[in-house]
Parts: sequence; C-alpha cells; structure tokens
Amino acid sequence: MMKNNKFWAMLLNRTPAILLLAVVAIFGSISGRFFEPQNFLNILVQSSALAIAATGMTVVLLTAGVDLSVGSLMFVAVALAGKMIANDQPVWLSFAVAFMVGLAGGALNALLITRFRIVAFIATLATLFIGRGFGLWLTNTRAMNMPDAVTALGASRCCGIPTPIVVMLLVTVTIHWFLVRTPWGRQVYAVGNDPDAAQKAGLRVQPILFAAYVICGACAAISGLIALTQTGAVSPSFGQQKEFAAIAAAVLGGTSLFGGRGNVLPGTLFGAILFQTIENGLVIINADPYLYPMVLSAVIFLAVFLDTSRQHLVANLSRRTLQSVA
Amino acid sequence: MDFQTKLIAQEGTGMNLRNLILFLSAACVLPIVGCTGSKSGSAAKQGTVGIAFETLQTEYWVAGFDAIKEELEKRDFAVLEAIADGDPNRQLQQVKNFITRRVDGIVLVPKDANSCIPAIRAANEAGIPIVLFNRPAAAEADVQSVAVQADNYKISLETVGFMIEQARKTGTKHKAMIVMGDLGDINAIGRRDGFDAAVKGNEDVIDVVARVPSEWNQEKAQAGVVNALQANPDISFLFTSSDFLLPSIVSALKSSGKYEKIGQPGHVILGGFDGDATAYQMLKDGYLDATGVQDVYFEAQASVQALLDLMAGKEVEPLIHDPGFVIHQGNEAEMADRTWGAKLVNSQE
Repeated sequence: MMKNNKFWAMLLNRTPAILLLAVVAIFGSISGRFFEPQNFLNILVQSSALAIAATGMTVVLLTAGVDLSVGSLMFVAVALAGKMIANDQPVWLSFAVAFMVGLAGGALNALLITRFRIVAFIATLATLFIGRGFGLWLTNTRAMNMPDAVTALGASRCCGIPTPIVVMLLVTVTIHWFLVRTPWGRQVYAVGNDPDAAQKAGLRVQPILFAAYVICGACAAISGLIALTQTGAVSPSFGQQKEFAAIAAAVLGGTSLFGGRGNVLPGTLFGAILFQTIENGLVIINADPYLYPMVLSAVIFLAVFLDTSRQHLVANLSRRTLQSVA
Repeated sequence: MDFQTKLIAQEGTGMNLRNLILFLSAACVLPIVGCTGSKSGSAAKQGTVGIAFETLQTEYWVAGFDAIKEELEKRDFAVLEAIADGDPNRQLQQVKNFITRRVDGIVLVPKDANSCIPAIRAANEAGIPIVLFNRPAAAEADVQSVAVQADNYKISLETVGFMIEQARKTGTKHKAMIVMGDLGDINAIGRRDGFDAAVKGNEDVIDVVARVPSEWNQEKAQAGVVNALQANPDISFLFTSSDFLLPSIVSALKSSGKYEKIGQPGHVILGGFDGDATAYQMLKDGYLDATGVQDVYFEAQASVQALLDLMAGKEVEPLIHDPGFVIHQGNEAEMADRTWGAKLVNSQE
C-alpha cells in the first residue's frame, strides 16, 4: 500500500514530464518525421526565447507576484537594439544596450511595486501599456529588418550546439542554481510561501522582490534578443502577449500562481518545451489551423487541473492511515 | 488579497511625502514618454474628420493612415487621430469622443467585422457619416456604413495563379505551403480562400502539404515555416498572406538552405500579399516571384471621396472594391509607380 502511494505521488510530482512524453508519443505516432533528431533540435531552438522569458516569470511567480510587462519589455529592448543596428552601431553594443533596457524595465517595475507599493498586477499592467506605446513611438510603427549578421547569430553554434540553446541552458541553469543553492533563493520561496512569516523571521522582503523583478526584466530582454536572431525583424507586434505564454509555460512546469512552489529545472524548461512541442507537432502533422488554439488551451487546462489536484492528492496519498485496534 | 497587498496593509498607511512626490513625477513623465501621438489638427474651413485605426502594426496600415491624412489635408479638412491598439472597446470610446467633438465624418479601421457595430451605430445615431477602411462591417448588421476594401480573394487568386504558372513551367509537381494570418480576420480568410481557389484544378502541379497559422505573428511564422520544412523538406512553393511576415519566412528558408534566387537550383517559388517595401526589394533582388498589391492610394482616395459624398448627402455604394494588381518579375518596372512599397524603397534610396 505504501509502495503504491509512493508510486502515485512520484507520478503526480512529475506531471510536466509525463505530459511532455505523452505529447511526444502522440505526435510521433502520427508522423515519423517528428522523431527525427533535427526536429528535436528545432523544438529546442524554438523553445529558447519562451523558456528564458518563462524563467524570469517563474522567479516572479515564486514570490506570488506577476509581471505582465514581459512582452512589452522584449519589444522595447529589441526595438532599441534594432534602431542602433539600423544606424550602423555594432551588434554587440546594441545587444548590450537592450540588456540594460531589460534591467531598467525590471527595476522600474520593482520600484513601482516595492517603493510605491502598487499591486504587481496593476504596476506591470501599466508598464505593459507604457512599454508598448514607447516601443511603437521608437519604431514609428514600422517594421525593421535586421542585417544578416543578426540572423547569423541565431543560426550559429557554440561547441556544436545551436547558440539559442546554449543561452537558454546558461540562463535556466544559472537562475535555477541561485534559487536552490543560495540563501537568496530560499528566501524567494519563503517570501512566496508566507510573506508575513518571512518578514517576522527577519527577511528583508522588499530587496528580494526588487531582485525578482529585475531578473524578470533581464530575462525578457535576453528572450527578445534570442527571438530577434531567429525572426530577423522587429515588427510592431513583437513580443505581444508573450507574457501569457511565459505564464502558461511556468504553470505548465508546475509553478504555482500563489507563490512559493515551482522550479526552473526541470519544471519551467519542460513547460516551455511542452508548449513549443505542441505547436511544432501540429505543423508537422499538418493539423487544421483552427485546431491549434483548442489543442494548446486543452493541454494548458489539463496541466493546471492536474497541478491543482496534485497537492490535494499528494497530501492524501502521503497521509498516515491509523487503524483502530479492536 | 495577494501577499504584496498584504504587505502594504501591514507595513503602513500609504506613501510618505517623498514617495508621493517621486510617484507623481514618474506619473507625469511616463505618459509623455509612452505617448504614441494622438494629434488633433486645428479647425479648418471644410470641417473635421476623425480617423480611428485599430492598429498601426504593419507598413500597410501606416501607409494607409498617412495616405488618408494627406488626402484630407489636401482637401482642407482638419484631422483627429486615434489608434486603438487592437482593443475594440477602446475604439468605441474613441469614436464616441469624435462624436462628442462634433466631427463631420469618421474613417474607421475596425478590429473585425462585428466588434465595430456599436461604433457604427453610435455614429449613425449622431448623424455622422462613417467609412470603413479595408475591413467592412458584417453584412447582416442593421447599421449604415460604406466600406472600401481590397478584393483579398481576387488579388490572392491572381497572385497564386501567377505562381502556379511559374510552377507549371518547371515541368515538375510542387509541394506547397501557405502561411495564413489571423483566422479571426476577414482579410486573412479572403486571402486563404483565394489561395485555395487558385490551387483547385491545378492539383497536377500543386500539392498543398502545409497550412501554417501565423496569427500575424512573426515568431510563429518563422517557427511554423521551419517546422513545415522539417516535415516536408521538398516544399518548393510558398505563399504568405502578408508581406510583413517575409523577413521571418526568409530567415526560416535560409536556416533550411532554401533561400535561392529565381532560376537557381533549389529556388522556392515565393509569393505574398500587400506589396510592401520588403516584398518590393525582394522582387528587385530576384528572390520573390510575385506579390498581390493592395492599392493603398486608391483605397485612401476612395475612402475620402466616399466620406465627402456621404457628407454631401449623395448615394454611395456600400462596398467599394480595390481591385488591386499583381506585381511580378515581368511587370515590375511598369507597376512600380502604383506599388506603395516601391515608393517607400525609392524614397529611402
């Protein structure tokens, strides 16, 4: 009985991985092309931008906050980088400036939330609109096509691995390490779990929150740059609604919207890959385009449903059974 | 109450004076920084027209916006501008604001055929003529408006028809892909239907193996084309429902080693819709076979003329079609003057 309970608890705790395997199995059984190594590489490359944005979002969600400005920050960062590149500035300098924009945008959110004490939802909703408007003004609402040097970066390899995947691994591993191996990471979980208790325990809650939003902003900028190296253009809709995909990927990976629970590895990374695998698989099997939103939302719903049920089920399964002695 | 709200409640009664000053400074500065510019012209002799666009997301919308403004200013009208950034509710408020400011006419680009009905109804009730640019209202709606629209179906049909002619000349059967727009956008549907109609009857040359929905999003278009080429590496015929997706499609073709000039081995027969600057440049460079051009100048002129006619109490056809045209390698020099993307390219050179 105990062994059975442990088995079910283990399965439930690995919902994201199981869902991913199920999706892979379904698409693979429909099309043999899906199982080709190049296709898995495509999925990983296409997941990179989303995984990085979702990693930043995970840090914020762990504090029981939310950042709705991720897509707008991506847009502002790449719009500025695009402008600089179009004006013959070096690509590395333009990318560095875009990264700084991400940090600054994250800091602005953090300032509004920690200093002015505006609820995260409202503060980041405001910066979402400000960012989008600023980006549109910056680009004059015109698409900017990037030179080949930018797309060459997206197609380049580092030690034989596509650069977007290397960047994704660097970002996710680093942030995961900070979350699970440093006191700051443990404090993030503590703040998300119970802010009152964290404060009473002597944690300085505001700087922890500040850092979380700055990290999220930085991840948004990196994510935008990765996407830019793949699309080769900045359009006025760049990054639009990316925050929802990032939240969905984090939640698919098991991060709780109520804070204090979740992880970047494997959770969020699996979530992002699962999200992209579905989009990839639907194209590979040439599914009816009207099915795309239905399938994606059904999988997200299933993941959230399983996640919601999981805590309850795991608690039930691990509860000791006491039998009365007659 | 989320935990950050709890913290606020716990930590104090609100902002101190220093924070309040900082916040108010930020609140004053940010809207200035974030403003995309909703300008109002001064009163003119002939009257005032409100222009409400759903978005300025693509070069086409920017060119249309500029062309309408230019046309109105040429006729001595003052202009009020509003951009809804994809939000039909915001657009309704913008139209109501125009009505409150007693404009003489409204040019509207709605989000879709149905969400614009309340805005049109409000204009009808105020007795203000309204013209819809590029997207008509639902036919069954009980409201009065005039629409000027590119014939998406016909232009796509002709563009894809030309591409099929090129495919037939190669003497081989081609696997084809269509990159579609937002399935909620009537224009995207018209273009898809035009593609399908062109392919019908030509199955001996064209086999459609991939239908990629882009939702008018470049990342989705890029990933979709890469994935479709993974599933069908021998795709050699590609039609995109909008030229603004071309940079992403080119990136995907390059990453698959399939971006070759016309006449080169491995060339993918490539066609688009809109006639923007990127498409025209690709046409000139010998990579794009053809694109269907929306005649933005005709549409702007027709919209303004329809509005003036309505203001003068004349009868106007409820739907004015822009027949558009196809620009391709064979007629590029001849049609460049009528192609708005060519004008943008030439003005930059």
